[in-house]
Amino acid sequence: MSEQDRPPVFGTWRKAYACAIVLFAIEVALLYAFTLRFS
Amino acid sequence: MNRLDYIVLFATILAIPLYGIWRTYGHPNLRHYLKGDHSIRWGTIGLSVMATQAGPITFLSMPGQAYESGIGFIQNYFGQPFALIVVCAIFVPIYQRLRVFTAYEYLGQRFDQKTRLLGAFLFLVQRGIAGGITIYAPAIILSAVLGWDLNLTIWLAGGFVIAYTVVGGTKIVSLTQRYQILVILIGMALAFGIAVHRLPEDFSFSAALSMAGKMGKLEAVDFSIDPSRRYTIWSGILGGFFLSLSYFGADQSQVQRYLAGGSLRASRIGLLFNAIVKVPMQFLILLLGVMIFLFYQFEKPPLFFNQPSYQRAIENGHGPQLSALQTQFDDVFTRKRDALQAMPKASAAESETLTAQVRDFEAQARSIRDNTKKILIEAGANPKSKDSDYVFITFVLDHLPHGVVGLLVAVIFCATMSATSAVLNALGSTSAIDFYRPLLRPKATDHHYVVATRWLTLAWGLVAIAVASFASLVENLIEAGNILGSVFYGSILGLFLVAFFLRGVRGSAVFYAGLIAQTLVLALFFTSNIGYLWYNVIGCGGVLLIAPILQQLLFRNDPSGPAPA
Repeated sequence: MSEQDRPPVFGTWRKAYACAIVLFAIEVALLYAFTLRFS
Repeated sequence: MNRLDYIVLFATILAIPLYGIWRTYGHPNLRHYLKGDHSIRWGTIGLSVMATQAGPITFLSMPGQAYESGIGFIQNYFGQPFALIVVCAIFVPIYQRLRVFTAYEYLGQRFDQKTRLLGAFLFLVQRGIAGGITIYAPAIILSAVLGWDLNLTIWLAGGFVIAYTVVGGTKIVSLTQRYQILVILIGMALAFGIAVHRLPEDFSFSAALSMAGKMGKLEAVDFSIDPSRRYTIWSGILGGFFLSLSYFGADQSQVQRYLAGGSLRASRIGLLFNAIVKVPMQFLILLLGVMIFLFYQFEKPPLFFNQPSYQRAIENGHGPQLSALQTQFDDVFTRKRDALQAMPKASAAESETLTAQVRDFEAQARSIRDNTKKILIEAGANPKSKDSDYVFITFVLDHLPHGVVGLLVAVIFCATMSATSAVLNALGSTSAIDFYRPLLRPKATDHHYVVATRWLTLAWGLVAIAVASFASLVENLIEAGNILGSVFYGSILGLFLVAFFLRGVRGSAVFYAGLIAQTLVLALFFTSNIGYLWYNVIGCGGVLLIAPILQQLLFRNDPSGPAPA
């Protein structure tokens, strides 16, 4: 592992995972809104 | 295609590998050849993972899929973000900490040599065949519509890939994939823009979308729990999760992409990038298919997009029947277009009536196309792939300006080359690291293993081309790739999940559980006709269930491989 990987900050990654899930949820919500608008 | 198209095509598909060779030429040690160096950052990893997953079929078939059935297919990707987060949190740190070259090395460290070989063997069998299909599938379509010789097309795509993958290893694969996926995205964006621009002037983009929605093409999310519905949010999240977990966690062609560079942080960001952009990217590709569908509401499409197959049927004496269908199709098309053109100026009530008429005409057109396909089958001109696979390339060749046509054909070649290079790189690495090194030459020099990996990569390239040359024996070749993956992925994923989560299970138990589960899946494959996605669940579930039982009943005193910390 490179220098930039140390120290492993689990909390930071947990926030990154949560952020990814929130963004995905927004994508699905927008797709659903798109479905409702155009169907 | 004219001279300009050929210049754009060959300049694009040659320039990227040549640049890659220039950037990576040298005498790498084994680590650099298999994992690249620290110059590979998260952006390259993210684009490389994306390029490996998005093979040529994605760009040839997806727009056609949306043309036929709408954009509901997008839901198949809903499980991927969750799977990628699991891979980031569990798989990647273990692979990086143990500094493995291949995912199957981890199985050797956690269990024993025979389990490692089993995982590597299943991967090699599955990917060795799938690599050939990745080359063959676009080659059969391009050779048919462009009139090129099939074997020449296979060698054109496969030959370049073998050459640069052998020379540059992982670094050149990652580097070329970065530029290939950029060419692909630019090409698809251009096609999208032109498709929208070619719609009639009195239809705004929003009006065009409304019309597509009324024709049932824009149902992106379906919350139905009806199991007969093909694409729903639930099947997408559950089925997509297991498929993606197998693919990203245990398939060396992906593992090698995100382990490139050796940085845990870069691997994770690259994967999370894919978790976020995959759904929007697939949405835009599917929406391109909808735009092409709208375009062909005003510009008459061919009765059957696979024209070589259609022409063969005429030559085989079915011309009169096809001619009658063509007349019906022309009549339905004209009436449907008239109804659509009347819509912008119609009142609300008239619009409802016109919409119902358009839907009716569309159903009639579909029925005529189904009858055409039946005649083609009777005539012995049965195509090897779905007619919808020819929609996008027909649109490109018939309606895009010269230069852009060359770029879009280059997109298909870039997608083939990027997906194939990752597969060949992984096959060569796995053969060298998991078989050659431990079984044949355990104590050779680094240089020796680099040379061996290069020869093995070349050998796998030739196997892929041989498979592509014989792939015409496979019916429905595009489905074949998915079925093949599903037959093997489940058992491989099962080995890894036992390694991570069933700490009391040791080598012999998981090895025999893997063999039993794989045999069960193969038996079901040859004797039943259950949906192929279930093979993933059966293979994975089989290993997870059988391994602890064997451990308790037969292998309590098995000394092979206590779990590492």
